Amino acid sequence: MVKLTLRIWILIIVLILALLAIAPWKAFEQGVLIKSVEKNSTAFDSGLRQGMIITNINGQPVKDMESYSKIVSSLFQNQTNITELTQNQTNQTNITKISQTNITELTQNQTNQTNITKIIIQTKEQEFVIFTNTLDITVGNIPKSNLKTGLDLSGGARALVKPANVSLSSQEISDLIAVTNERFNVYGISDITIRSVKDLQGVNYMLVEIAGATTTDLKELVGKQGKFEAKIGNDTAFIGGKRDITSVCRNDATCARIESCFEVEGGYACRFSFTVYLSEEVAKRHANITSNLGINTTEQGRYLDKKLDLYLDDSLVDSLLISEDLKGRVTTQVAVSGSGSGNTQQDAYNSAKESMNKLQTILITGSLPYKLEIVKLDTISPVLGSQFLKNIIYLGLVAFFIVSLVIFIKYRKLKITLSVILTMFSEAFITLGIAALIRWNLDAPSIAGIIAGLGTGVDDQIVIADEAILDINVGIGERIKRAFFVVLTAFFTTVAAMLPLFWAGAGMLRGFALTTILCITIGILVTRSAFADILKKIQQ
Amino acid sequence: MRFGHWLRLLPSKQRSQQYTRVRIPAGAFKKMENIQQQTQTKSWYDKYYKLMFILPVIIMLISLVYLGSFYSKHHDFINKDVSLSGGTTITLTSSIDTDLLEIELKKEYSDINFRKLTDITTGKQISFVIESSVESEQLKASIEKILGYQLTDTNSSIEFTGSSLSGNFYRQLIIALIISFALMSIVVAISFRTFIPSMAVIFSAFSDVVMPLALVDALGIKISAAGIAAFLMLIGYSVDTDVLLTSRALKKKEGTLNQRIYGAFKTGITMTLTSLAAVIPAFFLISGLPDSFRQIFLVLAFGLAADIVNTWFTNASIIKWYCTKKGIN
Repeated sequence: MVKLTLRIWILIIVLILALLAIAPWKAFEQGVLIKSVEKNSTAFDSGLRQGMIITNINGQPVKDMESYSKIVSSLFQNQTNITELTQNQTNQTNITKISQTNITELTQNQTNQTNITKIIIQTKEQEFVIFTNTLDITVGNIPKSNLKTGLDLSGGARALVKPANVSLSSQEISDLIAVTNERFNVYGISDITIRSVKDLQGVNYMLVEIAGATTTDLKELVGKQGKFEAKIGNDTAFIGGKRDITSVCRNDATCARIESCFEVEGGYACRFSFTVYLSEEVAKRHANITSNLGINTTEQGRYLDKKLDLYLDDSLVDSLLISEDLKGRVTTQVAVSGSGSGNTQQDAYNSAKESMNKLQTILITGSLPYKLEIVKLDTISPVLGSQFLKNIIYLGLVAFFIVSLVIFIKYRKLKITLSVILTMFSEAFITLGIAALIRWNLDAPSIAGIIAGLGTGVDDQIVIADEAILDINVGIGERIKRAFFVVLTAFFTTVAAMLPLFWAGAGMLRGFALTTILCITIGILVTRSAFADILKKIQQ
Repeated sequence: MRFGHWLRLLPSKQRSQQYTRVRIPAGAFKKMENIQQQTQTKSWYDKYYKLMFILPVIIMLISLVYLGSFYSKHHDFINKDVSLSGGTTITLTSSIDTDLLEIELKKEYSDINFRKLTDITTGKQISFVIESSVESEQLKASIEKILGYQLTDTNSSIEFTGSSLSGNFYRQLIIALIISFALMSIVVAISFRTFIPSMAVIFSAFSDVVMPLALVDALGIKISAAGIAAFLMLIGYSVDTDVLLTSRALKKKEGTLNQRIYGAFKTGITMTLTSLAAVIPAFFLISGLPDSFRQIFLVLAFGLAADIVNTWFTNASIIKWYCTKKGIN
């Protein structure tokens, strides 16, 4: 039994961790992955969340997408008559536990439909019973492992957006992202990531990415400025834009805060309130419209008989009850309040905060004081992407084989060749493990980076191996040490040279720099020193 | 010289023995050491190493002159592809009559390029790439008109880069390239802490960028953002053999300088050839790879080839000259 050194043990442990991170056994899992759940739907209220894996519906096993759609279509087959009931009867027919998100002023304008079906959804962890007539969830196949490929290999759409003629601060760009997110939610687009990217000159961009095949016209959606309208009945009270809404109070505890939390049946609820400043013109218009309205008395208090309906891109996103004292009154400051609930006080607080942020975002939508310009727009066909991926894997294997062959021809020693192959494999595998861990999307440049990183890895091993074989006058430890001077200097030059890519070009080539640096860092810290130890063992 | 011949005739094992037997006054000892140094190692390399420096200098001059004339013609050092100059790339994934499409599109647009992508294993055409500097909507409409059907995200990929972004991208990548080079130089300078050897490594890295650049231009290859990223990598990647050479030449105490340079050469050339071996398959499979991949491997391969010349001709000559001057033997 060969005694393993600490470094070799570290290599083995890191390899196991990488394997756990990549989780290739996911390929054998059965079921479908929930990609998104419509907020405020019965499915959402019953606890179904994004990321859960459905394994069984009403006793029928769900193996893949095909069996899922078969089962779901049979569920709602006989539903043709959908009767619309009046408002305010929301959620009452649902027998499942409902988390009441909208207790007071803020009510959701949900129409109710008949023909409720009982659905028992079995996920990996638990069982959900839902009474509904429609399943507002989108599902997809379970990924085969935790590795994710980038847009250029998996297909999808990507838009890089920046405001025309102005440059945005970080706060402004995060507002823009929140607004865009809100608008995309309206269109029910799932599997989308919107983030800000900054380039070398400090210009902020918004990067919108939709993975997989998409029928949405991203250009249309992003390029078009969000249209916001607030209506009372059929009258438009105000529209988005600085002219109507002068400002929306946010991140300022004096005019936007969670007011109080209290216990309610089955949990907690928290109330929030924030101030919206309207223009004089809007204030007058608002007074005009409200002066003709009647008054309803409800459990929560007295309100006007029509609500303030908020529309985003012509679809209703929220409705607010208008309090009695606003009737016919000209005021430029309006308080918007509402509540959130949850099982614990913390949950309720978070829920209230989320509702408040959402409303604030909706109110500022369309009031973006700039035009957006799409500076880059890519729609990649998933078909082409999978072809590329296949070819890249093939190329990687060929390169791997040829390098191994060259090493064998040069050293004519199976042990050295095998340990070089092992090290190469370990470096690639650990890099992939870290990529899976940090949820990095591996695009083509990222994979090229791994292959190039392996190249430097092999180079370093040649340096170490040659030092180990040559010059028998000097001790092996000293020789390895000398080899590491070369290895370390080469490491630092490569890192130094790749570093600017993290920022240049809005970070579009960050993947290339990241994987290369990861790969060679793993090489320095884990594999190459383990390789040196393995060589010492071989020499002895 | 006669003395030298006498020494050389002896088998190497006896040489040192013989050497000690010769009794010479202490003052002459240093002189003799010098003579020994010259004679012992007077191989072809000692005679020609300065001459070997001329080859890379000539290639470098040709490259620089070419890049100069290229710049005066195109007002830039590279042929930028649409991702850097602004424009549209449309990739059609279905099998179509590409000849007809090419002819028709050429009538309409003056600056249009075509490329076919094939499956590596079967050799079948998998897609057809069309590049032009026009807006995506316009090019898409033209193609749809010729083909007679709609382009969707299942039968095509469309990539568009606005000219405002591309110009910005390009400038930044060039800045990144300069920063990258500066950082690499700092690392090398810190590692060696001697002026001439550091400069030799830095100059070699510079040549590793300039020579492939001239070659890429001469071949009429259009460079994308990924291609420039590959140049950045080249800056860091190509110096490892130079570092190996310099550290062995300067830091080792055993063996002669030539032996050490030759030892470094054996190791270094294995490194470069292995890397080339890993990169070259990409050339045969190039038609089936994403553009970013193609660019990165192309630039790396050219760079590695240039690195052989720059390390073992340029850098080795400088370091040999430096060591001889400094009396590092």
